[in-house]
Amino acid sequence: MTDFNSLLLILAIVIPLAAAVALLFGQKLCPCAAKFIAGIGFLAPAAIALWLWGNFGEAAKTAGYAYMSQYDLGMKDTLGISLYLGLNGISAPLFLLAGIVGLAAGWQAINAKAERLPQYLLLLLIMQAGLMGVFASIDIFFFYFFHELALIPTFIMIGIWGGAGRRSAAMEMTVYLTLGAMLSLLGLIYIYKASDWTGFDLIALREYVSAHSIADAVQHNIFGLLLFGFGILVSLFPFHSWAPRGYAAAPTANAMLHAGVLKKFGLYGLVQIAVPLLPVGALEWNPLLIWLALGNILFIGLVTIAQRDLKLMVGYSSVMHMGYIFLGIATLSVAGVGGAVILMFAHGLSVALMFVLSTAVYARTGTYDMRDMGGLGMKAPLLAGFFVAATMASVGLPGFANFWGEFTIFMALWKDHAWAVAPAVLGIIISAIYGLRAAAAIFMGAPSEAFQKASAGKAIGDITRAERIPAIILIIGLVLVGFWPHSISTSINEELMGDSVYQPKVLSTVQTPAAATPAAGHAHEESAS
Amino acid sequence: MNPLELLAIILLTPLASAAIICLFLRRGGYWASAVSVVAAAVIMVLSFVFLLKWDGQTITGSLTWLQLGQDYSFDLGFLFNHEAATMLAVVAFVGFWIHVFSVGYMDDDRDKGRFFGGLSIFMFSMLGIVLADNLFMVFVFWELVGFSSYMLIAHYWDKDFAAAASKKAFIVNRIGDFGFLVGIAWAYHYYGTADISAITAIIKADPSKTVTGIGLCLMCGFIGKSAQFPLQVWLTDAMAGPTPVSALIHAATMVAAGIYFMVRVFFLLTPFALEWILWSGAIMTVFAGFCALGQNDIKKTLAYSTLAHLGYMATAIGLGFPGLAIMHMAMHACFKATLFLCSGSVIHACHHEQDMFKMGGLWKKMPVTFVAFFVATLSISAVPFTAGYYSKDTIIAGAWGKFAAGHGDAYAWAFGLTMLGALLTALYMGRMLFVVFFGKPNSEKASHAHESSPWMSVPLVVLGWIMSLGAGWFVYHWGWADGVMNALVPADVAQFMIDGYSHAAGGWEAAHHLFEESGAHWVEYLSWGCIIGGFLFTFFFYGRGPAQDRLQVKAPGLYHVFERHGWFDDIYDFYVSHIQRRIADFMAFIDTAVIGGLVVRGSGAVAGLVGMVSRSLHVGSIHGYVYWFIAGVLLFGAFALGLLR
Repeated sequence: MTDFNSLLLILAIVIPLAAAVALLFGQKLCPCAAKFIAGIGFLAPAAIALWLWGNFGEAAKTAGYAYMSQYDLGMKDTLGISLYLGLNGISAPLFLLAGIVGLAAGWQAINAKAERLPQYLLLLLIMQAGLMGVFASIDIFFFYFFHELALIPTFIMIGIWGGAGRRSAAMEMTVYLTLGAMLSLLGLIYIYKASDWTGFDLIALREYVSAHSIADAVQHNIFGLLLFGFGILVSLFPFHSWAPRGYAAAPTANAMLHAGVLKKFGLYGLVQIAVPLLPVGALEWNPLLIWLALGNILFIGLVTIAQRDLKLMVGYSSVMHMGYIFLGIATLSVAGVGGAVILMFAHGLSVALMFVLSTAVYARTGTYDMRDMGGLGMKAPLLAGFFVAATMASVGLPGFANFWGEFTIFMALWKDHAWAVAPAVLGIIISAIYGLRAAAAIFMGAPSEAFQKASAGKAIGDITRAERIPAIILIIGLVLVGFWPHSISTSINEELMGDSVYQPKVLSTVQTPAAATPAAGHAHEESAS
Repeated sequence: MNPLELLAIILLTPLASAAIICLFLRRGGYWASAVSVVAAAVIMVLSFVFLLKWDGQTITGSLTWLQLGQDYSFDLGFLFNHEAATMLAVVAFVGFWIHVFSVGYMDDDRDKGRFFGGLSIFMFSMLGIVLADNLFMVFVFWELVGFSSYMLIAHYWDKDFAAAASKKAFIVNRIGDFGFLVGIAWAYHYYGTADISAITAIIKADPSKTVTGIGLCLMCGFIGKSAQFPLQVWLTDAMAGPTPVSALIHAATMVAAGIYFMVRVFFLLTPFALEWILWSGAIMTVFAGFCALGQNDIKKTLAYSTLAHLGYMATAIGLGFPGLAIMHMAMHACFKATLFLCSGSVIHACHHEQDMFKMGGLWKKMPVTFVAFFVATLSISAVPFTAGYYSKDTIIAGAWGKFAAGHGDAYAWAFGLTMLGALLTALYMGRMLFVVFFGKPNSEKASHAHESSPWMSVPLVVLGWIMSLGAGWFVYHWGWADGVMNALVPADVAQFMIDGYSHAAGGWEAAHHLFEESGAHWVEYLSWGCIIGGFLFTFFFYGRGPAQDRLQVKAPGLYHVFERHGWFDDIYDFYVSHIQRRIADFMAFIDTAVIGGLVVRGSGAVAGLVGMVSRSLHVGSIHGYVYWFIAGVLLFGAFALGLLR
C-alpha cells in the first residue's frame, strides 16, 4: 500500500536523481537552466522532508515506521533485499537534516561560480539523493548502497574541484573511507549470517533478535567490526586523519554535505542497527569506545587549538564534536542516545554553517590563514555576527540546538561512567578557546599587516544575499531547535522509549545495579525519607 | 493576572526587545535605544507591581522543556522567594536607570543597535538566573549572561584590547563553568533531581545528605562569575567595555549572580565549603583593596573595588549569613553602579580620558556628578547612616560576633581582614575623590568638561543621591503605604534581608544580634577610625588634584607590586603562550606525524595495501572510483551468495 506520503518519500530520492540525469543529458543547456533544474533537485527533498517531518506525529506507524513502502527489485526472495523505505523517530529528524543542509549546500553551489558548473551540480545532486536515501532506508543493504552513492561523488568532487592539496587529501580520504565502508559491510553481512539469513530488513532483524538473540561471542565480533567500520567513517580517534584535511581540500558545498550529513551515517548505523541488534556486544566494547571518544574530545580539541588555518580548524572541531556523540551512544540510555541524536542534528547544521561562513571569509581575505586576517568585522559586520553566532552554536551556547545535545550527554554520562564526565566537560573550555580565538583573529582588533596589504585598494563588502541565504536557513534550524527542543526530541524519545535495549533493566544483568534513580520531579520525597 | 504569567512576561519582555533589535533595528540608532529602554521600563514597572502585590509566599511553577526517557527532564520554571525578590528589585531598578544613562552615554556611538540589543539580551539572561527554579535552567542563563557580557565587552571591537578582554572573560568564565557543570551533573544524580526546592526538601529531611564535593564544584561557577580567587583576572580587563556595561554587568548585577546562586544553594554547603568561601572572600577584600591603590585608570580602580566588595559578600556567606550577603549585594548595586556611572559621566565629559591623574578639579564643573560620587563614596566606605554602612559594617561586626561566640579562630582572621579591607576602601576611595574632583584640571580635556545631559544626570540623582544614601534605612522599619513599603524598598523584600530566610541565623538582624551579644563596641569605633583615618591620610598624602601618584613617586617598588596585582595576569599569559600553546602544537605534531603519517598509513598494513591498490587504480578520473565501488558491490554479492549455498 502506497499512499501519498510514502510516494513523497521515494520522490525525495528520485527527484534529485532525475535532476542529475537531466543535467547529464543536458550538458548543452544554458547555465541558468542547469541552475533551475538543480534548484528543483535541492528544493524538492527539503520541502518533502519538512512536510513529512511536520506530519510525523500523526502518521500511522508500523513497528515505529511511518510512510512505509516496499519495492521488490528482484532480490527479495533470494537475498532478502528490497527497496524498503520508511521513517522512524530517529531517522525523521535526520532525514530533515539531510533536506535542510542539502538545500543550503545546493544554494551555495548554485551561486558558487564553479568551473563546469553542470557537472558540479550533477555530482552534488547524486550525493543529495544518496543522503535522502540513507535515512529513508529500512533495508540495511540499501542503507549501505545509498551511503556509497553519496560517497563516490565526494571523492570525485574533491579530486576535481578541490583546493590546495586535493590529490593527497582525496587519496587519503578514499583509503580511509573505503576501509571503513568495507569493515562495516563485513559487519552487516555477518549480521545477515548470524540472524539465520533473515534478510536485510531491519524490522525483521529486530524481531529476530528479540526472539532469538545472537550469541554473545558473535555479538562481540560483529560489534567490533561495525564499531571500527562506522567509527572510521565518523572519524573516531585515532582514525580521524582523513577528515580535517579532506574537508579543507573539499569544495564548500561538498564539505557541507559530507561533514554535515553523510558523516552521520556511521553514527546512525550505530544507533539504529549495531546497538539495538547487538546490545551485549555494545556493552563489551563500551569502555574502549569511551576512551576513544575522550581522545576525540581532549586530544583533537588541543590539536584544534593549534590550527592556524580556518578550514582545518573547522574540520578538527568537527572531529572533536564527534567525541560527544560517541559518548552519548556509549551511555546506552534513552537520555544519552537521545542527546547524541539531537547533537547529530545540531552538529550537521552548525558545521555546514561554519563551512559556508569560512568560504565567505575566504572570499574577502583571499586566505584561510587566520594570522593574516583581523578587523574584518568593521567591513563586514553582518558576516561577523553570523560567524559569532555559528561559533556560539558550536561551543554549545544555550539557545542553539547543540546545547541540548551536549548538556544531555553530560548528564546521562554520569549514571554509569561518572569518571568520564569531568574530562568530557573539559571540552567546553577547549572549544571556547579555539572558537573565540578564531572569531577575534578574523573579525576583531586591528587588521594584520598582511591583510592590510592584501586588501589595499579593494572594496570589501558585507555578506551578500547569495551567501546569506544558506546561512540563514541553517541558523533558523539551530535556533528553532535551541528554543524548542521538543520539535525534534519528541519523536526521538518515542522511538528510543519503545526500544527495549535502552531500558535500564535489559542491560542490568551485566551492569552493577545502580542505585535506583528516582524519576525526576516526583520521587524526591522517597529519597528524602 | 496569574503571578506566574506576570513573571513570564517580565522575563520575555527583554527577549522580545533583543529579537526586534536584532531583526529590524541593527542600524536603528535611536530607535534601537528606544526599544531597549522601553523594555527596561516595562520590566521595572511590572516588577514593582509584582513585588508590591506579593504576599511573601514562595511561588513555584514549571513546564518541561526537554524530556528524554523516564528520568531525564529539563524543566523551565520559576522559584520566587525572598532572595529572588531582592534580586529582581535590584536588577529591574538599577537596570532601568542604567539603560537611561546609556542613552546619554552612547549618544555618539555608531553601533547603538548592537549595544542596546546586547543590553536587552543581558536583562533577559539575568532575569532568568533570578527566577530559575532548577540547576539546569540556572546553567542555561548562566551561559547566556556570559555571552552577553562577552558581546558587550567586545563593543569597541576594532580595538585589540577589547578583542582580547572579551575573549578572556568568556574563557575564564568557562573554566568556572567546567566545575559548575560537573557539580550540576553530580547533584542531579545524587539527589535524583535538579529542582532547587526539591533538593532543599531532601536536605531538610536529612541534613547528612550534604556533600562537600558538590558544594565545591558548584562554587566553581560562583568563582568564575563573581571573579573570585583564582579566576579574578577577567574582571579588570572587562572594563574595556562601555562604562554603562561595567556598571550594570560588571558591578551591580551579573558578577553578583555568583553570590546570588550561592545563597540559593546555601543549604547544600557544608562547613568545609563555607570556610573555604570565608577565607577566599576575606582575603579578596584585602588583596583587591591593595591592587586598587596601584591603578591610574578610574574604571580599573573601581573594578578592584568591586572585587573587594564581592569578597565581602562571599565573607557574609562564609559566616553563615546568606541574607546579609544579599543585602550587601543590593546596597553594593546602588553605590557601585553610581560610582561607575559617575566615572562614565566624567569619562564622557573628558572625551574618553580614563586616567585619573589627567582629571582634577571636576567638582565645580560637574556638580551633580560630584554629589552623587561623594554620597556613593561615603556609602561604600560604610559611613554611618549611608546604605553601605548597614550591610558592610554588619559583615565586619558579624565576623567578630562569630568569633566572640566561640565558633573558631578563622572568624577572628576574617574580622581582621575585612576590617583592613574597610581601611583600604577608605584609602582608595579617598584617593579617587581627591584626585578626580578636587584641585585644578590636569589636562586640556578636563578643563573643558561640563555637566552631562539629563539622560545621564537623572540616573545619578536617583541611584547616587537617593539610593546610595537611603537604600539601607529599612532596618528602622519605617513603614508606609499601609506597611507595603519599608523606607525605600517593599517591606517583604526588606524583611528577607533583615531576617534571613527561615534559617536560625541568616540575615542582618541575626548578624547584628550576634554582634550586640559580644558587647564589643570598640569594633564600631575602630571601623569609624578606619574611615576617618583613611580619608584624612589620602587628603594629606595625595593632595588635591595631583598630576601624578605620590605613592608611585615615593615608593615605586611598592606601587609596582600593587599595579601588577600579584602577577596573576603574567602567570596566565605565560601559561597560555608557553604551556598551552606548546602542548597544543606538540599534539598537532603528533597528530600529523605519528597518527596521520606513521601509525595509520605506515604500520596499518591493510590501509597501506588498500592505498597501493587504489593508487594503481587512481587515474585521476571517475573510473577508478567507480571500479572500486563495483568491486565492493561484487564482493558483497559474492559473500552473500557464497554464504547462501
